[in-house]
Amino acid sequence: MKVVANLALCQGHARCAAVCPQVFGTDAQFGKVVVLLDPVPAELQEQARLAVHNCPEGALRVSKDSRSFP
Amino acid sequence: MSTPQTQSIPPHVPAHLVVDFDLFEVTPELRDPFDKWQALLDTGAPPIFWTPRNGGHWTFLKYDDIREAYRNHETFSNRHQSIPRTEPWPLLQPNGVDPPEHSKFRNLLVPLFTPAAVSLMQAEVRRRTRMLIDAFADRGECDFVADFSGKLPTGMFIHLMGMDEGRLSEFIALADFFMRVEDPVAKARNVGEIYGVLGEFFRHKEHHLGNDIASLLLRARDTAGSGVTQQEVIDCTFLLFVAGLDTVTSTMNFIWRHLAAVPATRREIAGYLEQPDKLSRTLEELFRVYAVSNIYRRVKKDTVYKGIQMKADDMVVLPDNLANRDPAVFDRPAELDLTRKVNPHLTFGLGVHRCLGSHLAKLEVATALQEWLPRIADFRIDTAIPVKIYAGPVMGFRALPLRWDARA
Repeated sequence: MKVVANLALCQGHARCAAVCPQVFGTDAQFGKVVVLLDPVPAELQEQARLAVHNCPEGALRVSKDSRSFP
Repeated sequence: MSTPQTQSIPPHVPAHLVVDFDLFEVTPELRDPFDKWQALLDTGAPPIFWTPRNGGHWTFLKYDDIREAYRNHETFSNRHQSIPRTEPWPLLQPNGVDPPEHSKFRNLLVPLFTPAAVSLMQAEVRRRTRMLIDAFADRGECDFVADFSGKLPTGMFIHLMGMDEGRLSEFIALADFFMRVEDPVAKARNVGEIYGVLGEFFRHKEHHLGNDIASLLLRARDTAGSGVTQQEVIDCTFLLFVAGLDTVTSTMNFIWRHLAAVPATRREIAGYLEQPDKLSRTLEELFRVYAVSNIYRRVKKDTVYKGIQMKADDMVVLPDNLANRDPAVFDRPAELDLTRKVNPHLTFGLGVHRCLGSHLAKLEVATALQEWLPRIADFRIDTAIPVKIYAGPVMGFRALPLRWDARA
């Protein structure tokens, strides 16, 4: 499983980084999402999915799993 | 009693979409400003309706429509957001302008408020929080608004801007009036007063540059090719002045009112103050339930949205609190669930104007909880003192008298 970030949609809420800091970080200058782990290891997949669902911008998606796209 | 300024219904608004709703009105029986929004749902108001009050405006009630208004800046503009219409109105950089113009100031300010930048403010927020609590902890009582929530965000703002701390109470009064006044003439005068204070501040700052936001803006103005003008610097400061103070204050008031009323919740939170994941989830839920802002947009050009004709310059009100309680998005929306896992609330807006200070707001509330609950674990509201509530673009109450048993 991998997570894909759309940086044009990301506005730096950093909700993903709060929910799953192992997989998502933010860049120092503009605070936008940085995907830290690709692919996402099995033990973090559930938490990473939650992070995706908490993005109010819909800027994140899980690839190869259309069910997870909000 | 309730005959504020009304006007006739514009011809493009169909009668079945008209609801008599006054954004600012506080009836004597109203106990909580959120109730007047819930009442709209309970009485079956159309999800998009027009009210003739306050100069006339649309209101969106559903999460999806509010989200669309935030995202679609081609249709729903940030220019000249005043209800009722106030002239002249400052062009507030960057919140009051649309892309692409908006990026000039947004890009200057965003790096100052990223999670990384805000984490460096932690020590200062903590120092100020402790100082405020020290002043009343042993007294066994305080007015939470006057003694704490009104001072913490404003104090941080003054610190970050590089302003004179001695003028804190004057600034609080000016920003408070700005948010509360309905009369357009009085509002225009208040805007003039804020500009007067800011103009004077920048005349001084000009010769005393430092490591603060005001100096950063002045340096940007003096950078060749930046396109940043003196007027824009002052307008931008005006925005920061009125945007980030009142909202955090009001949110904290609701949270502390809740904690005072529900001992189990404050004990639960006190148990995980140093666990970032749990505390963060709790904060998001508190921000979801206590979304104090009703945001304004202006229809940019004649448009048809969801089959409804809207005209250029029609105003639209976006109540975040109803977006956050939309059952189409949130499970058990009326319930405060501190373990809520999926919570894409709109309290900080979204799209290009996402609240710039959201990370600072969260830091301030988190730090306040961390410092308050271990010291004042049990507290209650003094119900003998009547509390005046207010509605409008930011909702809340003017005082929150708290009592607790002070240590001997």
